[in-house]
Amino acid sequence: MTPEPIRVPLPGALAADAHRAVRGALRAEPRDAPLVLDCGALGALDALGAARLLRLVDEVRQTGREARLANLSEAARRTLAEVDPAILAHEPAPPRHPLEIVGGRALDAVDAVASMQRLAGATFLGLARPFGHRGIKWDRTLRQMTLVGVEAVWIVFFISLLVGVVLALNGATQLRQFGATIFIANLVGISMTREMGPLLTAVIVAGRSGSAIAAEIGSMVISEEIDAMRTMALSPIRFLVVPKVLALIIMMPFLTVISNLAGIGGGYAVGVIGLDLGSDAYLSQTVQSLFISDVMTGLVKSVVFGLIIGLVGVYRGFSVRGGPEEVGRVTTAAVVTSIVLCIVANACFTALFYFTG
Amino acid sequence: MTAADREPVLVVEDVVAGYGDVKVLDGISLTVDAGEIVTVLGATGSGKSTLLRCIVGLLPPWEGRVLINGRDVNAAGTEEREEILREVGMAFQEAALLSSMTTAENVALPIVEHWHADEETALMLARMRLGRVGLGRAGDKMPAELSGGMRKRAGIARAIALEPRLLLLDEPSAGLDPTTARAIDELILGLKARGDMAIVAVTHEVASINTIADRALMLADGAIIACGTLAEVHASAEPRVQAFFRRELVESAETTSLVDELEWKA
Repeated sequence: MTPEPIRVPLPGALAADAHRAVRGALRAEPRDAPLVLDCGALGALDALGAARLLRLVDEVRQTGREARLANLSEAARRTLAEVDPAILAHEPAPPRHPLEIVGGRALDAVDAVASMQRLAGATFLGLARPFGHRGIKWDRTLRQMTLVGVEAVWIVFFISLLVGVVLALNGATQLRQFGATIFIANLVGISMTREMGPLLTAVIVAGRSGSAIAAEIGSMVISEEIDAMRTMALSPIRFLVVPKVLALIIMMPFLTVISNLAGIGGGYAVGVIGLDLGSDAYLSQTVQSLFISDVMTGLVKSVVFGLIIGLVGVYRGFSVRGGPEEVGRVTTAAVVTSIVLCIVANACFTALFYFTG
Repeated sequence: MTAADREPVLVVEDVVAGYGDVKVLDGISLTVDAGEIVTVLGATGSGKSTLLRCIVGLLPPWEGRVLINGRDVNAAGTEEREEILREVGMAFQEAALLSSMTTAENVALPIVEHWHADEETALMLARMRLGRVGLGRAGDKMPAELSGGMRKRAGIARAIALEPRLLLLDEPSAGLDPTTARAIDELILGLKARGDMAIVAVTHEVASINTIADRALMLADGAIIACGTLAEVHASAEPRVQAFFRRELVESAETTSLVDELEWKA
């Protein structure tokens, strides 16, 4: 036997807090009794009022109770008659267990690693074919080298110069106490060539070019340009990915050399102009402190950083699903992921070189 | 005539496909011969564009297979797949022109890559193709500078750049003014007249269907509800087919109003 319905009179105007009117009734026993929302005081119902009324019905139904309307005016009936009944037929999403959420994230991470591996594999295969009809697109690669390398020279130079100045000024404060200000040349030279030069360049290029790569490919995905390339039997890996990654691999060492020189120049300016160290003495000290292995270590790192920035940007770009707002999200993610991975790789390199002498 | 000429250009066999867990196509079969235009009809969301994506290999089917010139596009390796797709041209609903290239460069791209033409020759041929769709003067414009209808026509020019044996058109005349739509229909009929091209056009433009279709296939909820010559499909007793051609709403017997559903009857 159906239990007696619980009648809930609704106020004359359904305000934004109208749901409070039914909250108390939802706790009433028996639990399987339908709630009848008495609309007698409502009068006419505009679109916003109808939306609030249907939200109440939906809220009641989400609790498992039946919800009905009574005493609808003719005007309210006309407004509700225009509404598709299907809007109340949706199934509420089942609540997810926290473990399920964690497991889902873990599986997503495994999928992401597998996709990245496939992308990296396809890119290396593309890089392994330098010439011929299916080979590297050198014209596109040159264009990319201009974009990621030549156009980044001034920003890399300027920031590295300032970092060199800051390193020298901070070093001077400490070294002056021991009368060893000349060793600023060592500090700046070694710091720039081994660590700061490659890492600074990587951060700048990740922010400048990694984001641009992710945004460009992401936009191409949502406008079906990538699909169009595939239907034309044109490989997006060969046309888009390989030129961008190769350009980064080639240009990163050049940018790193510029960063090293600019940083050392900044230290030189502080040493010679600010600390009255002789120009020849500073340069000679710098040359004596640097080993070719320091410079080469930085350059090897920069190649790996270029590879990381390129692959992450491309991977993030291809992972776009949905609309333009997703392009913005993956662009940010590309920069963050690139920088984190470059710093992790840098730490690994430093540890490796330290323990292997 | 060789055996290869006689076999259908496109064979779709019992294709079941979808996105994620959602089945969009359920057991679709279709054969298209050279010199034939098949139109795929149906309401928005009925699976028409998904069928094209399956045919061209962008969406691998869950079941069934797609044969283009006798070769399974989804079972092919990378190089064989490229060979198969060289014989296919597809015009996307939103054109999908590469935004970093001019219109002519877009059309020239497959010519340079697959016919190994030098860039200047390819651009000249691209302008010829653009001329066929009435865009002879638009070659130097970037896609963003073209109107929606012009982009669509440029997409068709790119699709026919390599004179494919199978041409897939996704809503070729939707959103165009009647004169341009008619010109596109004439172009499609002109391509058919060459005799060696099979054309599949997804559309819900009734005027266009009546002009170009040799055969028609109507989809609803991912399944075929009518298939045959245009006359046979017109004569179908299926209410959704009739409603489609008469541009009527299909009323469901089960439809109830929200007031009927919600009103309390003591």
